[in-house]
Amino acid sequence: MTCDSVSKLIPLYFYGELPPDEEDCVETHLHECAACTRELDRLSSLARALGQRQVEVPAFLLDECRADLKAAIQGGAPKLKTPVKGPWTLFLEAMAATLSGFARLRLPVGAVALLAVGFVGARFSGAGRTWWRPADDNAFATVRSVQADPSGRVQIAFDETHRRVVSGRTDSPDIQKLLLTAFHQNNADVRVESVGLLQAGTDTAEVRDALMAALDHDPNVGVRLKALDKLKPLAADPEVRKTLARVLQTDDNAAVRMQVVDLLVARRDDTMVGAMQSAVQREDNSGVRQKLEKALKDLNASVGTF
Amino acid sequence: MIMAQDAAGAVGARMNLQVDSLIRAAQRGEQDAFEQLVRMYDQSVLRLAMNLLQSPEDARDVYQEAFLRVFRNLHAFRFDCSFHTWLYRIVTNICLDQLRKRKVRKEESAVVETSDGIIDRMESFEEDAAESDPERTMWNRQLRQRIENALKDLTPRERMVFELRHYQGLRLRNIGEMLGTTEEAAKNCLFRATQKMRVVLGDFV
Repeated sequence: MTCDSVSKLIPLYFYGELPPDEEDCVETHLHECAACTRELDRLSSLARALGQRQVEVPAFLLDECRADLKAAIQGGAPKLKTPVKGPWTLFLEAMAATLSGFARLRLPVGAVALLAVGFVGARFSGAGRTWWRPADDNAFATVRSVQADPSGRVQIAFDETHRRVVSGRTDSPDIQKLLLTAFHQNNADVRVESVGLLQAGTDTAEVRDALMAALDHDPNVGVRLKALDKLKPLAADPEVRKTLARVLQTDDNAAVRMQVVDLLVARRDDTMVGAMQSAVQREDNSGVRQKLEKALKDLNASVGTF
Repeated sequence: MIMAQDAAGAVGARMNLQVDSLIRAAQRGEQDAFEQLVRMYDQSVLRLAMNLLQSPEDARDVYQEAFLRVFRNLHAFRFDCSFHTWLYRIVTNICLDQLRKRKVRKEESAVVETSDGIIDRMESFEEDAAESDPERTMWNRQLRQRIENALKDLTPRERMVFELRHYQGLRLRNIGEMLGTTEEAAKNCLFRATQKMRVVLGDFV
């Protein structure tokens, strides 16, 4: 192989893109040729220099992209392109597009619960690097007003929300309150974790109501199943049973309906016969239907209504 | 070695099965499955867009447009290529459009002027570890400027091939498939890209 032919293969050799036989030929040539070896070394230096350029994507940008996408899919208008790219426009875009209140906060809740506290009243004047992103990685801002004055300055009022981390025992009343707050987050993972950590056994009406609301209305099946699980100790409660009867007729997920039947039949309750008879008529899942038919039989009730 | 390869293969196969089942669930309209699918790929998509376009606003637009296209067209995905290839075909098309528009407009500098002077829009992302060493900082700044110039000299397609191979570590065969071209054409692009950069970077490397 000549230096000329090898020099064309060096980039492919460097990236491991040559077939084995060509790779062997290049290696043999490199052992014998100092000039081509230098060429390879220079390419390695170039790659190292380019490696320094790689951009780290900040977590807040990823969070915002995910939130925007979710909003667009759930019916919001897709974000429009803005042709203007002045620094103030960029600042305003960056600020306005950041989290706008609790609804968009992502609070991971496990053994640790996160508390978000918003406060208002910050003002911004002058241009600096903070136009790009909040000064603090845990702070998020929503621009409320922009006022330009004739001198060319501008006043911007924005709400700033800071993220705080608190930790505590899951049975602590404060933690339980935060877990209830987490029920209202958009993030289904947060809701599932929160439901799982709520202490339905050490019952308060608020916890019970939150679990019933999650079972009745949460769009995520994982959250509904978790809520059902947590409602087990309260299955005798008349309000809970009413919710179970309603969910049996309305939930579109067979796994949820199956577990609802299990909870309903765990104790003999003749007042549920009507709901079960009605459900069995419209049930299209054979497993749930068989379960309902058996339950009705155990209650000495007919499968159909007359 | 073979055992390690087997293990890696098994992990890859499991991952493919997981992706396939998420796609099928998302095609049935399960939004959670779509969200999980997005989360498996969106970091690398955003990183690709950021690295190519050097603008968080544009990267954000690429992210949104790409995944909305995926959302709208997922029902038509027939598993005749990998989801990764399909997704990247969409993403690279959007990014190439952006790069071509910039070539025409000759704008989108990485720096913006403010009343406090010129600010490098990408600087806020960087860890300036060499800050305490002014000479090194100066060298890095010059090197960075040369690198930006070198990358600007590439055609959008060369830039894309280089980005996918160098930063994303994809094989040229896959890159060709994503860009609707051959492996040979991708090889030529990579060769031209490295040659051009070598010339522009000159003494720096």
